[in-house]
Amino acid sequence: MKKIVLSVAGLLLAGVPVFGHHAFGGEFDPNKPVLLKGPVTKVEWVNPHAWIHIEVTDEDGSKKEWMVEGGTPNTLLRRGITRESLKPGTVLVIDGYQARDHSLLRANGRNVTYPDGRKLFLGSSGTGAPTDGADPTEAPKPGQRGRGGQQ
Amino acid sequence: MEAIPMHRRLIFAAAAALATVTISLASLAGQAKSPIPRLKDGHPDLQGTYDIATLTPIERQAGSPLVLTDEEAKKLEHDVATRKNYQARPIEADRKAPPVGGDGSQGAAGNVGGYNSFWIDSGSQYSVVDGRKRASILIDPPDGRVPQLTPQARQRVARNVNRPTSDQTAREDDPGFEGNGAYDDPERRPLGERCLMGFGSTSGPPVLPNYFYNNLHQIVQTADTVMILTEMVHDARIVRMNAEHLPPTVRKWMGDSVGRWEGDTLVVDTTNFSDKTRFRGSTQNLHIVERFTRVDGGNLLYRFTVEDPDTWTRAWTGEYTWPATDELLYEYACHEGNYALGNILRGARLKEVEDAKKKTGGN
Repeated sequence: MKKIVLSVAGLLLAGVPVFGHHAFGGEFDPNKPVLLKGPVTKVEWVNPHAWIHIEVTDEDGSKKEWMVEGGTPNTLLRRGITRESLKPGTVLVIDGYQARDHSLLRANGRNVTYPDGRKLFLGSSGTGAPTDGADPTEAPKPGQRGRGGQQ
Repeated sequence: MEAIPMHRRLIFAAAAALATVTISLASLAGQAKSPIPRLKDGHPDLQGTYDIATLTPIERQAGSPLVLTDEEAKKLEHDVATRKNYQARPIEADRKAPPVGGDGSQGAAGNVGGYNSFWIDSGSQYSVVDGRKRASILIDPPDGRVPQLTPQARQRVARNVNRPTSDQTAREDDPGFEGNGAYDDPERRPLGERCLMGFGSTSGPPVLPNYFYNNLHQIVQTADTVMILTEMVHDARIVRMNAEHLPPTVRKWMGDSVGRWEGDTLVVDTTNFSDKTRFRGSTQNLHIVERFTRVDGGNLLYRFTVEDPDTWTRAWTGEYTWPATDELLYEYACHEGNYALGNILRGARLKEVEDAKKKTGGN
């Protein structure tokens, strides 16, 4: 039992983001860390992994579109986060590592935050999206019936 | 008072006795009439959606108790909630890019980290069986550990590293990057990465929580067929009721499942596995027996026994509750946006070029 508690404490100290289920080490280059900042241009809400597209302005003023890998959209949908929850134009700050193929402007979303440091979807009482569950007086969206039967 | 003729008295007595018997039967029926919903054929209706996400691990520390005290469970669940809150905290807005050489993450995160915890839905509570929180899914062997692999199985597993399961061995020169050969062919990549089956025996059998996300399962049932649909990665297992197993030449990803009723318990027997899934290093002779029983609150008790004499020194058994949920299962169209597999293989080709250049002095 002590081992379990210690491992939880270890995670707390490390604060390492949660890992993905596929070979992140094969996909992304540990020698190419990136910090990306810019407005969302679109989000591909697809499985197995959603991809957030953002427009990053380089030091020379040129604009490039980066794709950032996230997790499964199904989980977010169950929490009331929909394709409307992250609108184009929303500015994000993302740290991660670039794909091993450097010709691809793709990275893992190791940390995805709003410009003030709040984690995406988690930084406020709601996502700002309609029917995200933040407003208890709001009628739930069809299909968003809440988690039931849990022990 | 008029005397009642004997035959009438007998009739009364018989009627009274009959009434007593009838009442007794009704009472018995009342007791036997459980809240279990039933189909027209009289068997329990197991249909519904279940969210099997749980904190209860498959194994527990050797020899520790199967049951957690309420205090222990509360403490552990609180620790997990604390960790989740910690991961969800705001972080420095003006942060820099992560360190060159990797951030030290291990496992599938492969030294580059994963992604924000808001994507994860790994469960927040320990599984409750018979009203008590469980420290492990495994109930037999009694020490809570999966039995040892046979010597032959150990050799086989060592040979099969880098075959398409979830086996992974990181390269020493690039932690997180798997050993040589692991990226030589798409078919060497793990089944989850290829969108063929969920990772961690999500589809089963045996059906296990993946401790990550999308742990929903749906059961659809008729008198002849039971379907177990797994959200991750969209697998539908068809159980043929009261049927014979297919000939041994027919091999299936999730094996061949046939079912029968033992009282109010659905017993599913699965054989005829292909050698592509290899649950925890097993052979295609893997034999799984699952038992589904309705318990309180619309939940199911799920019990399974795993047997493969070519792999383990003895059979082993686990059980945990499948809590009913009102949540919806969503389509998991995994192939439609699977950029990751292409990125992974492309990355490996470039890594090869890079390594070759290093060997030849950069030319």
